[in-house]
Amino acid sequence: MILILAWRNIWRNKKRSLIIIAAIAVGLCCGLFASATMFGMWDSLINTTIDRDLGHFQIHSKSFEDEKLLTDTIPNFQNILTQLHSTNNVIGVSSRVLVEGMISSATSFGGVRIVGINPQDEKNVTTVYKQIIQGSYFGENWRNQIVIGQKLAENLGIKERSKIVLSFQGVDGSIIYGAFRVAGIFKTESSVFDKSNVFVQESDLLRLINSDPISNEIVVRLSSVQQVDSVYIPIKKQYANLSVKNWEELAPELKLFNDMLMTQMNIFVGIILFALLFGITNTMLMSVMERVREFGVLMAVGMKRSRVFIMIILETISLSFLGGIIGISMGLILIEYFKHVGINLSAFTEGLSQWSMGSRLYTSLPLNFYPSLVLMILITAILGAIYPAFKAIRLKPATAIRTY
Amino acid sequence: MSLIELKDVSRIYDETVVPIRAVDSVNLIIDKGEFTAIVGPSGSGKTTLLNLIGGLDQPTAGKIIVDGTDISTYKPDVLINFRLHHIGFVFQAYNLIPVFTAKENVEFIMLLQNIPKTEREKKALDFLQAVGLGDRVNATPAELSGGQQQRVAVARALASSPSFVLADEPTANLDSASAESLLDLMENLNQNNNMTFVFSTHDQKVIRRAHRVVTLQDGKVKSDELNPIRIKNEN
Ligand SMILES: Nc1ncnc2c1ncn2[C@@H]1O[C@H](COP(=O)(O)OP(=O)(O)OP(=O)(O)O)[C@@H](O)[C@H]1O
Ligand SMILES: [Mg+2]
Repeated sequence: MILILAWRNIWRNKKRSLIIIAAIAVGLCCGLFASATMFGMWDSLINTTIDRDLGHFQIHSKSFEDEKLLTDTIPNFQNILTQLHSTNNVIGVSSRVLVEGMISSATSFGGVRIVGINPQDEKNVTTVYKQIIQGSYFGENWRNQIVIGQKLAENLGIKERSKIVLSFQGVDGSIIYGAFRVAGIFKTESSVFDKSNVFVQESDLLRLINSDPISNEIVVRLSSVQQVDSVYIPIKKQYANLSVKNWEELAPELKLFNDMLMTQMNIFVGIILFALLFGITNTMLMSVMERVREFGVLMAVGMKRSRVFIMIILETISLSFLGGIIGISMGLILIEYFKHVGINLSAFTEGLSQWSMGSRLYTSLPLNFYPSLVLMILITAILGAIYPAFKAIRLKPATAIRTY
Repeated sequence: MSLIELKDVSRIYDETVVPIRAVDSVNLIIDKGEFTAIVGPSGSGKTTLLNLIGGLDQPTAGKIIVDGTDISTYKPDVLINFRLHHIGFVFQAYNLIPVFTAKENVEFIMLLQNIPKTEREKKALDFLQAVGLGDRVNATPAELSGGQQQRVAVARALASSPSFVLADEPTANLDSASAESLLDLMENLNQNNNMTFVFSTHDQKVIRRAHRVVTLQDGKVKSDELNPIRIKNEN
C-alpha cells in the first residue's frame, strides 16, 4: 500500500514528474549513446588494426623484438605452422619475412618495412587484399610484383606497373638491390600504415637473398576476438623460447587509447549522474515542501518516520526507474539503429585516418554496461532522495499541521 | 480510573521574544465516555492543550497521563506509536491523503497497525457505512464535500480502535448544516459505542452540543461545567 501511495504521489504533479522523468531519460539516453559511440570507435579501431596487420596474435623469435633483423628467424617454423593449422578456432596463419629497407623510384625514395608474404596465406589473415584501389593483389603474371600503399605511391610519384627498386641488408650483411614492378596499390584506413609498408611475395624475397624458407613473423587469425586467450595462452606456454603476443600486447597504443576513452566516458557519465542528482534532489525537495501538512497529519495519526522515509525513497526510485526505462529504451533503439546504419564521419575522415578509423562509425555497447548503469541511476536516485526525506521526517507534526 | 489526567500542565513557548504561556498550570480529568468541548477565544490555548493530550507536543512542566501511562516524558518516536494505538485524530481540514480513496484512507491507518488485509478492508467498509458514506467508498477526497471529508476522518479515527478521539475544530471549515450532521454523528458514536470525544471549537452552536464544556482563557481553565440540557437528553 505504501508502494501504491508512492506511485500515486508522483502523479500528483504530473508536469514536474514528467520533467524529471524526461531529464533522466534524456540524460541516460545521451550517456548511453555517447558511450556507445566511444565503444564503437574503439571497436572499429581494434578491428581495423587487427584486420589490416596485426591478426589476433603473432609469434617472433625473442631476438626479433630488439633489432627486427632479417636474421632473427623463428626456428622450426614449419612445425609451428602445421600445428597452428590443425588448432581449433584458427582460421588463418601467415608466415612473413620482414626486413627494413629503402624504396626508390625514379624521382624519390623513402624508408619502408618490406613484408614478404605468401598471398594465399595472407588473405586468410589480413584484409589488405580487399583494399586494392588500383591493379591487383599479386594477380599479375610477372616476377617481382610489389603491392604498395596509396600514400607511398603518391610520395614516390609512381602508379600501377611503375618500376621501383628495393634495397636492404641481406643475411650476410651485404646490401641487396631488387627491382620490382607495382602490381597493386592499396588504401587502408591508416595513412601511416599505407606509407610505411610494402608487400612482396616471399618467394621473390627469398630468391633475392638466396635463402631457404625462413620466417620472421607468424600471424594468426582466429574465428573471433573472444577466442584469443584460449588459443594463444597454450601456444605461449608451449613455446616459451619464442615471443608470443596477442594484439593487446602488440599494440600498446590501443590499450592507451582504450584507457583514455574509458576515462572520458566515466567523466561524462559522472557529469550526467551529478546533474541528475541535483535535479532529483530539487524535485523531491519541492514535492516534500508542498506536502508539509500532509506529512504532519500522517505522522500525527501514527505513521512512523521510517515509513515516511521509505515512502519518499520509493517515490524517487519510481521516478528514476521510469526515466531509466525510457532512457535505456531510447538509447537502445538509437544504438541499434546506428549499429547497422553507422554515423557518417566523412567530414572528419582526413583527421581520423591518422587514427586508423573508417569514415563510418558503428555504435556498440557491451550488454553488461546496462545493468551497471541502472544500478548507478538507482544509487543516484536514493542519494538524491535522502536530503528531502530527512527534511520530511524532521518535521514536527504539531507545527506541520499548522502549515497551510 | 480516569482516561485522561492533566496535573499542573504548562506549555511555554520560549522561542518567542516574550515567552508565551500557551497552557498555564492546567489540571483536568476526562473520563471514559465523555463528550467534552474545549472552548475559548482564539489564542486561548485550545490547540496547544489538545496537542499535549494527543502526544503531539510535550509539556514544559506537569504530568499528562493517558490510558494509565505518563506520556509527558516520552520520546517522539515512542509517541508516534502511542498515538497510533491509543488516539484517534480529526483535524480542522485536509485530514486525508488526497491520492487515496475514502476506503484506502481508512484502511491505511490499519495498515500502519499491521492489521491483515482482509480484516482491514472489511473494517474500512463497516466504518464508512457507520459514518454514512457506504456509497462513496471509492471517492477521493477531492470528490467529497468538506463535511463528507470530515466523516471519512472520523471513520479513520475510529478504525484505529482508539481509547478516545481528539478533534481540533472539526467543524471550523463546515457550513452549519454539515457541522450539525457531523456533531450528530459524533454524538451517536458517543452514545451508542461509548466512544470518548474531546473536541475544541469557538462556535456557539457547537458548544451547545457538548455535554461538558471546558473554557480556556490565556492558557488557564476559566470554567468547567456540565451542559444541563444535553445531560438530560442522555438520560
Ligand atoms: N509554535 C508556536 N510558537 C510560538 N507560539 C505559539 C505556537 N503555537 C501557538 N503559539 C501561541 O500560543 C498561544 C495559544 O495558541 P493556540 O493555537 O493553542 O490557541 P487556540 O486557542 O488554538 O487558537 P485558535 O482558536 O486561533 O486556534 C497563542 O498565543 C499562540 O500565538
Ligand atoms: Mg487552534
